[in-house]
Amino acid sequence: MATTHAPSEAEHGGHDHHPSLEYHPGLPLSNGKLIVWLFLSTEIMFFAALIGTYIVIRFGAPAWPTPHDVHLSEPIGAFNTFVLICSSVTVVLGLEAAKANKASSAKGWILATLVLGSVFLGVKLYEYGQKFSHGIYPVDPHSRIYEKADLNYAAAVRHRLESLKGEYDAQAAQFQQDEQQDSEAAKQVQSRLALLGNLIAYERDVETAAATDQNVAAARAALNEMAGLIMHKEPVGGTAIVADDPDADKATAARAELNKLVHDEEHHEEAAGHGAHGLNDDYEWLKLPIVIPGGNMWASTYFLLTGFHAIHVLVGLIVFAIMIPMTLGVAAAGFVENIGLYWHFVDLVWIFLFPLLYLF
Amino acid sequence: MSEHAHAHDDGHDVGLAKYVYVFLALCVLTSMSFFTYSSYWPFPDQPNIGRAFMMAVSCTKAMLVILFFMHVKYEANWKYVLTIPAAFMSLFLLLALVPDIGMRGRWLSEERRLYMAEPPAETEEPVVKHAEAGEGGAETEAEH
Repeated sequence: MATTHAPSEAEHGGHDHHPSLEYHPGLPLSNGKLIVWLFLSTEIMFFAALIGTYIVIRFGAPAWPTPHDVHLSEPIGAFNTFVLICSSVTVVLGLEAAKANKASSAKGWILATLVLGSVFLGVKLYEYGQKFSHGIYPVDPHSRIYEKADLNYAAAVRHRLESLKGEYDAQAAQFQQDEQQDSEAAKQVQSRLALLGNLIAYERDVETAAATDQNVAAARAALNEMAGLIMHKEPVGGTAIVADDPDADKATAARAELNKLVHDEEHHEEAAGHGAHGLNDDYEWLKLPIVIPGGNMWASTYFLLTGFHAIHVLVGLIVFAIMIPMTLGVAAAGFVENIGLYWHFVDLVWIFLFPLLYLF
Repeated sequence: MSEHAHAHDDGHDVGLAKYVYVFLALCVLTSMSFFTYSSYWPFPDQPNIGRAFMMAVSCTKAMLVILFFMHVKYEANWKYVLTIPAAFMSLFLLLALVPDIGMRGRWLSEERRLYMAEPPAETEEPVVKHAEAGEGGAETEAEH
């Protein structure tokens, strides 16, 4: 890394009067700092590729969910941005303290950075939990996201309802056997079975209408209505679509019951400001499939971007934790500077991720 | 440049007050991008204005962090050797994605259309047109 204008040792010995023996480093920075900057330039490419891919995918997509569809909370994102900016300040103040050889003060700032970084990760974990509890996963076995309300979606809703009904029927039978029909648990099972009965009758009507294919527009509208009921608790039409079905009366009655739930004001109060709020949120045990156009690609990109960023935060936190027992005097200033550079870069990535993921 | 001169260049001029100003500027800028989310934002119907505004704000924030917190403002010219090639490389990486991924909606196969997300109402028309063109093409091919 260094170019030297000095002659070799032997030559040097022979000519004591040689005018210049100065050592000229190729780059005016320490090896450690050079390595950190080289590493950061690869990181620039890494995150630029990830963020760029996200932008290209997002604006080339036929549909993309709004932040509220996927339960993103802008204030939480802004809070996390603020936390990371604060941590950037504390790390730079730590560096200044180390340069001034105030080791204990430097340690205090590094500790503050560690705490702030942990707060960031904690908030991120809470946000991930929110997504998971709404069935938003990047991978199949857990994900309940469907791209559109079609027959495939209706069939998935039916499977879920039927498996729930089977489960609660068995529980009800057990209560019957144990002669505990009047217990609180048994009553809860009965009320759940009543809701499931209504949903099954309603879903059957919608699916039959869609499958018979007689009126494509009406069938599509009915499927979208069902998705709207599950996702956003939107009201459904009052009468059964398949009029010649023997269970048409049952389906009409079920629709009336479901619309009663929709107009339940108490739940609407709760819903304010929490993004999409549907049957799934009022009855968390339902866990019905949901329709989020573009939701699968959204989940893939969101978890990939924030996941890689979180890994970087975690690595930074590990290094800060290692630094705590060290003496952070002027001898360690170079080390503090290098980890500081890395940490500012992590902050930098979040500065772009926050508007792109939460506000676009 | 001797060791001593280098150490002197290396940010000693940066007072603590400067960090406080940069921190305040970053906080103000964050609240500015958050402002686009609030109901006071004057262009709720034109998302592109908000997006351009947020990107401008983000780039400003990034510049502040890079120049002052990462001390790049006070570094010698080696900073260009490392950052400019990396920036170009990332630009190429991004541009390489546009034809395959960014424009993937322009050539939809029937199968793809079947499983893809439903486009929102206002953009539905062009996509349907493409799909019909695709169908027509398939039919004429089958006829031949």
